[in-house]
Amino acid sequence: MARVYNWQLGREMAYWYPEARPRRQFAAVFDTNKCIACQTCTLACKTTWTSGKGQEYMLWNNVETKPYGSYPLAYDLRLLEMLNGQQWNGSRYTGQTIFESAPAGERVLGWRPEEQDFAYPNVGEDDCAGEVDGGKYLSLPHLNWFFYLARICNHCTYPACLASCPRGSIYKRPEDGIVLVDQGRCRGYQECVKGCPYKKVFFNPLTGTSEKCIACFPKIEQGIQPQCFVNCIGKIRLAGWISKPEQARADNPMDYLVHIKKVALPLFPQFGLEPNVYYIPPIHAPVSFNQQLFGPGAGEAMKTYRNAMHDPDLASLLCLFGSTELVVPRFRRQGDLAIGSDEKGAEIVRVPLREPVHVRPAFDAKNQLVRINCP
Amino acid sequence: MRHTVLIALLLAGGCARAPKPVSEVVAVSAIRLPASPADAAWDRAPEHIARMVPQDLVEPRLLTPSTPEVRVRALTDGAEICFRLEWEDATRSDTPGPSKMADACAVQIPEKIEKDLPEPQMGQDGKRVQVTYWRADWQATVDGRGDTIRDLYPNASIDHYPYDAKTIEGGDRARQEMALRYAPARALGNLRAGPRSQPVEDLIATGPGTLSPGPSLGAKGKGVYGRQRWSVLISRKLPDGLGVNQRTHVALAVWEGSQHETGARKMRTGWIPLVRRGE
Repeated sequence: MARVYNWQLGREMAYWYPEARPRRQFAAVFDTNKCIACQTCTLACKTTWTSGKGQEYMLWNNVETKPYGSYPLAYDLRLLEMLNGQQWNGSRYTGQTIFESAPAGERVLGWRPEEQDFAYPNVGEDDCAGEVDGGKYLSLPHLNWFFYLARICNHCTYPACLASCPRGSIYKRPEDGIVLVDQGRCRGYQECVKGCPYKKVFFNPLTGTSEKCIACFPKIEQGIQPQCFVNCIGKIRLAGWISKPEQARADNPMDYLVHIKKVALPLFPQFGLEPNVYYIPPIHAPVSFNQQLFGPGAGEAMKTYRNAMHDPDLASLLCLFGSTELVVPRFRRQGDLAIGSDEKGAEIVRVPLREPVHVRPAFDAKNQLVRINCP
Repeated sequence: MRHTVLIALLLAGGCARAPKPVSEVVAVSAIRLPASPADAAWDRAPEHIARMVPQDLVEPRLLTPSTPEVRVRALTDGAEICFRLEWEDATRSDTPGPSKMADACAVQIPEKIEKDLPEPQMGQDGKRVQVTYWRADWQATVDGRGDTIRDLYPNASIDHYPYDAKTIEGGDRARQEMALRYAPARALGNLRAGPRSQPVEDLIATGPGTLSPGPSLGAKGKGVYGRQRWSVLISRKLPDGLGVNQRTHVALAVWEGSQHETGARKMRTGWIPLVRRGE
């Protein structure tokens, strides 16, 4: 194995291939605090890409309820148990990644989901972390919690699917870092399904090949955000391009959220893949749980997010989520306006930090009638 | 007493039709090649018992041995060569799905008859090998079983396929084009993705991980499972330059689906001499 640098672990690690970062890396930030699990993203993806025969159980995008939801079943717990916990020393991971703990004869530490594991896409939906009987729900803050975790392929810097494939049928595009299964070359060995810790590669029994999220690359190539982003009614998602930490730009939305404010964190960084979908952790969930999912920076990220109302730059960027169909590679705040622009500075969108509030009296004097505030 | 004599005669006759195992694979001349592994013509061909070893040279490796041996016979009509591979298998694995691997076998022959053989493990740069690959799930499909979710899981609940909508303009052709867009491997012409008329594939390789579709060698196949045993017929074009009493080599592989064997996870042989006999 080669030695590569994983900035999410704060150290070098072993990987099957030498470090080869793309010219620019597709990335996304999901704000878990805004997700309502309406599954519009799931349907947008399903309708666009996986409505064919053999794709029935594929959910390139899914939304699961944490702590109990998962798709496929217990995809995260099983691997966390195999890794036997995790050790961090500050922001440096001192435990073993799935590459470093690969058993003899294997390329990565992985496991194979059985067909039954794909049978319960909404297991644990809306189940909270404890019982709410006996009037507990009446007190604030709530004693129990749950949150929604929307997931797509992380288009990892060090994909385990790519490392697992003995045929080289999976590749990472040098122009945008999107990870794809070459459908002309795949022979359906399912090594990628076994290797991906996020279980975001799916086997198609009709064609005998494996398929996965393609980050809607035909749209990305035109500067348009993927289907699951633009259809999100909660406006929780923002797509963009992330730099290496030492090259972070304050006017790049991804860099600002991930590297500068450190409010958006990778999912299970300890696996070692350097995933490129970043999550703003749920501020009402326990820090310890968020740390298990998002690493040691979860506590600080929660504080930063809670303080966003006093941080106009951060607040302005959060306002750009779901504000335009286009990818917004640059942003700036101008007074009470958030302005998104392309890489040359041409404005794409402007959004007020606070929407104007209109108070409409219940009695309409002009028309001499009483209005009610129901739809 | 009369019965005893009759049984003895039958046994003697049976032994005469089943030559003793031989140390190489001998392709015996036949006027007509059998279409079935149960054809009586196979009785004329001597049997070679090939010992198998786990593929443990490249990752992912097979660390737990499974199929210990495969029994192989060969016939040729001068244009094609036909192999029959038989091995014990307590579990029939012929349905595709997540974490489901199909039983399979393959015959590998050097593309050229040369003194220096290619690496037995899938060949090497400059020394290609031809692989004829058979799979149990393809056999099931060719034998008539459907390969959709409804065929594989009769109780599956499926809402709708958009290309089945009656409102689509353009009729069946438009529907087929739309369906193909949801089957990218088929749209790209990946022969692995079907639909197929034979349970076998013609492939070439120049080393591990290089397996790819090869020029057609007219591969045909027929696998039959019974009594906890696979009996598989694989035929293909006779290797170039393999005259009567001349030799090339053959290597064999078997995948035990119930042990999750697929791709590099397989039992294999080294090179075995393959000789063509005349009348």
